[in-house]
Amino acid sequence: MANAAVRTEALGKRYGSAWALSDCTLEIPADSITALVGPNGAGKTTLLHLVIGLMRQTTGSVEVLGHSPYAKAAEVLPRLGFVAQDHPLYRNLTVTETLELGRRLNPGWDAPYARERVGRLGLDGKRKVGKLSGGQQAQVALTLALAKRPQLLVLDEPVASLDPLARREFLSAVLEAVAEGDVTVILSSHIVSELERVCDHLVALTESHTRLAGPIDQILAGHRVLIGPRTGATAAARMHDVIRESHTERQTTLLVRADGHVYDTCWQQHEVDLEEIVLAYMGYAPGAAMPLPVPEAVAR
Amino acid sequence: MTWLAWRLQRTETIVAGGVLVLMAALLVPTGISMSEAYHTDGLGSCLAPNPGFSCVQKIGAFQSHYQALNFVTNWFTLIPGVLGVLLAAPFILDLEHRTYRLAWTQSITRRHWVAVKLGLAVLAAVGASAVLIALITWWRTPLTDIGGRLDTGTYDTTGSVAIGYTLFALGLAAALGAMWRRSAVSLTVAFVGYFAIRIVDDYWLRNRLASPLHATWSGARLPAYLEKANILSQTVTVNGRVIESGSSGGVLGAHSQLAVPGSRHALVHAVYQPASSFWTLQIRETLLFTAAAAACLVFAAVWTQRRVT
Repeated sequence: MANAAVRTEALGKRYGSAWALSDCTLEIPADSITALVGPNGAGKTTLLHLVIGLMRQTTGSVEVLGHSPYAKAAEVLPRLGFVAQDHPLYRNLTVTETLELGRRLNPGWDAPYARERVGRLGLDGKRKVGKLSGGQQAQVALTLALAKRPQLLVLDEPVASLDPLARREFLSAVLEAVAEGDVTVILSSHIVSELERVCDHLVALTESHTRLAGPIDQILAGHRVLIGPRTGATAAARMHDVIRESHTERQTTLLVRADGHVYDTCWQQHEVDLEEIVLAYMGYAPGAAMPLPVPEAVAR
Repeated sequence: MTWLAWRLQRTETIVAGGVLVLMAALLVPTGISMSEAYHTDGLGSCLAPNPGFSCVQKIGAFQSHYQALNFVTNWFTLIPGVLGVLLAAPFILDLEHRTYRLAWTQSITRRHWVAVKLGLAVLAAVGASAVLIALITWWRTPLTDIGGRLDTGTYDTTGSVAIGYTLFALGLAAALGAMWRRSAVSLTVAFVGYFAIRIVDDYWLRNRLASPLHATWSGARLPAYLEKANILSQTVTVNGRVIESGSSGGVLGAHSQLAVPGSRHALVHAVYQPASSFWTLQIRETLLFTAAAAACLVFAAVWTQRRVT
């Protein structure tokens, strides 16, 4: 792929003797809104921290906007917006002071945009950030990241700590901001359904490995659930690229990769939603036995 | 970044200023009254060699009158530790609350962040300890005119060593804070560590920073050149018999008598640090503490850049 905003190659990070991430190879296409999904402990946060250069990898390489984010922090940081899971802010600063922080620490700071955004959120500039609600704090943190006018926006579990209404507002704000310019966005979550609405790409990570990656519409189009008479596992596998199978006494249910139509009349075909596909790849995939099912068309 | 670092350090700097104002509130009125008493009693002229008996009495009366206050101010030697540890707090709090992740994902490098953060703390520490020294030096002027500057209480809070002490406390707290990222425990341990090292410094290290001199004389009357000197040890012999050995005489002021048994026939041998060594000792000790502080700060900076994620 010619144009990747983020590219990792056999990336690994070890804390003491435990590997938080190992042998992770993936690409995030430029200008995509990519959902990085995976169960807790899959290494999502570690991966994102490596991407934003908050720490240095133990093995492998990571390239962000053409540079190593840790070694070339001065090159990458001004072009990067990041909101951490707990959206850290200085609680004793007021909202206005927090924006002043952004102005002073970022050469490309868009002050009118930041002011306008905070105004639209109805936040009182004189209030201490620590006194704001969780949703409002997340919005302030997002404003700080957006007013940098980043080329890459990285959001680590941005809505995990928010109530449903604040979630909706936060994600809408992200979409709105992204619509205005050429920004690549990476959002991580362990809940797929939450991101499906806003993202166009997906990378599913389990135990550091990419299980599934590609444009969401292609992923959806490329998978079907087949229900038919009870069939042996090997027989089914001969016919289809089976991701997950389950059997009852009378019938077999298969989740298969099917790029075209399934010309097999004994199977009933159903469309399948993204969450189910992702769960199938992550939870039920027979691990190393399965070839890495990365659809070819990862680029747009 | 300077703006942010200052904004986050403002409270601690104000508290440090408050400590100094509190001290000033105690020292300025008492200092003025002490200085007035000194001049009213004409003690300045009493310091000339061979003063009359009334002079010796007056000096003794003056010293005992201000003894309690002098004793209180000896505890001011802990204030550099308080100031240093206090000014390290903003650095540690940023690590403890994990807000450094916000600063490090703006457009500045972490090296820049660490340098400004610690640099500003160092500036505030030097400023605060300089004010402390100025205040105490002024306050003590009458007392040092009589008793010199080598006794521990005076030596620790005048001259330049207090700057080194403050920086050392700051560095120690920053280094521990970088490792532990817990402000309460780091600051407490750093203060206790500072105190322990200061005890070792006062009772052991200092007298090894410059080689002492030796003197021998007879009689109880202290030779003039030993007034205001720090007598590290003295041995008294009477008719060839050692009757007192190795005890520390401490610092004796103008026109002091030694309490020596059989004094008229006594032969006294003393090992001492002359009053003129004051600045030699001060500068060496200041450099030593500043170097230790620098090592701690470099450690804190490197650890923060390499190990904190």
